[in-house]
Amino acid sequence: MVNRSVMVAADGIIEVRELRKVFAPDIVAVDGISFQVQNGEIFGFLGPNGAGKSTTIKILTTLLAKTSGSATIDGLDIDKDQKEVRRIIGYSSQEVGVDDDLTGRENLMLQCRFHHMTKERSIEKVQTLLETVKLMEASDRRLSTYSGGMRKRLDLASALVSDPKVLFLDEPTTGLDPQSRQDIWEYVRGLNQKGMTIFLTTQYMEEADRLASRLCIVDQGKIVAEGTPKDLKAKIGADVINLRFKVGDSDACSKAAQVVKGLPGIKEVGLCPGSISAESELTVLAQDGALLVPQMVKAVDAAGVAIERITVSAPTLDEVFLKLTGKTLNTIDRREAVKRLGREGRRQER
Amino acid sequence: MKTEWGMEVVAIFGRWNTKLLRQPIFIFFSLINPLVWFLLFTQAFSAIGSLPNFEQLTGTGDYTTFFTAAVIIQTITSSALQAGIGIVNDLDSGFMDKMRVAPINKSAILFGKLFSDAITTIIQVVIILVIGLALNVHVASGIPGVLLILALAAAFGIAWSGLSLFVALTTKSSQTTLSIGLLTTFPLLFLSAAVLPVELLPSWVQSVAVVNPFTYIAQVFQSLIIRGVEWNVIGNAIATILIIGTISLTASVAVFRKKIS
Repeated sequence: MVNRSVMVAADGIIEVRELRKVFAPDIVAVDGISFQVQNGEIFGFLGPNGAGKSTTIKILTTLLAKTSGSATIDGLDIDKDQKEVRRIIGYSSQEVGVDDDLTGRENLMLQCRFHHMTKERSIEKVQTLLETVKLMEASDRRLSTYSGGMRKRLDLASALVSDPKVLFLDEPTTGLDPQSRQDIWEYVRGLNQKGMTIFLTTQYMEEADRLASRLCIVDQGKIVAEGTPKDLKAKIGADVINLRFKVGDSDACSKAAQVVKGLPGIKEVGLCPGSISAESELTVLAQDGALLVPQMVKAVDAAGVAIERITVSAPTLDEVFLKLTGKTLNTIDRREAVKRLGREGRRQER
Repeated sequence: MKTEWGMEVVAIFGRWNTKLLRQPIFIFFSLINPLVWFLLFTQAFSAIGSLPNFEQLTGTGDYTTFFTAAVIIQTITSSALQAGIGIVNDLDSGFMDKMRVAPINKSAILFGKLFSDAITTIIQVVIILVIGLALNVHVASGIPGVLLILALAAAFGIAWSGLSLFVALTTKSSQTTLSIGLLTTFPLLFLSAAVLPVELLPSWVQSVAVVNPFTYIAQVFQSLIIRGVEWNVIGNAIATILIIGTISLTASVAVFRKKIS
């Protein structure tokens, strides 16, 4: 245990040390993670489903007891000062915790009452928030009539009634359509510009890239990398070459991977998707990728594999993840993850 | 601190009342349920009223009048079930997390719900007494007696809801909460003085009935409806409610705190 008294002058608004959570009997959801979130930044937690993102956010928001380690929010201990922590945080969960029988306005008024605001102040605050999330017109309709994006926006508004110092967003755009996603991103940026610290988890590398000023890449309960999106991508120090093969040619990818591995300048060769997958793609990380393309095409061709398309691009967080974990956060994984979400969230809770 | 607790309870109480009013099906069932009970039992068992000693033991020869207490208890216990189910729904929807992340007292979440259920109970008991009036059931203790019936019904409702909350928070399943609730309510009702006066029950049932809380609750309603204000009977009922309430509410608040922190 860290001696709390010497930690008073902490730099970060969120300080997490050796945080660990084990679910009975022996499922290690969070495996001794440490990180610091600076005041006023958007801090991202990027990782696949089951990486321990939700568990971490639930511990930090005092909803779940940790197994060991320590964490403070603005110098307040998440265990000893639970109530004080709750006064300064806002939380929007994956499940969207709103009451469907109440109207949008009623839901927000209720949150204001939970934060002990006077009636006058609540009315004023609710009005402002409804305008911010563009739900004025729907404000007196019951939530059961709202779309997914509207519910999410209302949920976000309800996390903001108390003007929190730190806002926790657990997968804020999972399952939303592109327009709703853009809207949420816009609100989050706006809040951050006004000085709010935001901690968000996501399984979308694009979301982490666009929103987060700094991020942790997490996998299997551990932090595998930390830094700004730019730094993380620069660390790859290579270009990304993507090879796509004909649909139905199930051996193409593995054959090509075999050949490519032997070429000079190759830093990393990705895994081939399982044979069930209709599209087969191979991701390769290489120094001076553009120069390597002719050679690669020739070699793969010689092995009797037809390439349908080849692209060279700068690395994204996807490749960072690939390099660090040997896995990709690809679209297929993501779609499956979305389907599992609801159940997963509740399982962790229990 | 105290005023904050009050504010939180009022907010949560208001939320449940609003939800209730938006479910017209509730009003429908509140009317249908007692009607069904009154009709089924009093028609099928009206002969019980003319059993030897029945009038001597109870003060009335009309079984409908006697059975009103059982209808009230059945209604209270079935709406108590709703307390637990409402909490499980909140756990599932994520609304519970929303409340827990706010700086509110955990007990306020439970008491707001319990007080709202008490209001529900009062409305339902008023409906039963009105239906009873139409069936020629007159409350012997008059208006003060009616008020006393409502107060005791609300208090017993809160105490009994505590058990439903306890089961709900422990199992986190509305199905289980419902099953356990129904499985306990019916035997308890029929093994108490609610359906027959204790003296007319078979001897083994009698020994169950004397330790069955429903007996004392049934007796107080029977007494207020049939005979008038009898303080010893009221005292027994209050003691029963206090014992159940203390146990059930302490237990559910404790489970609620533990599950969370």
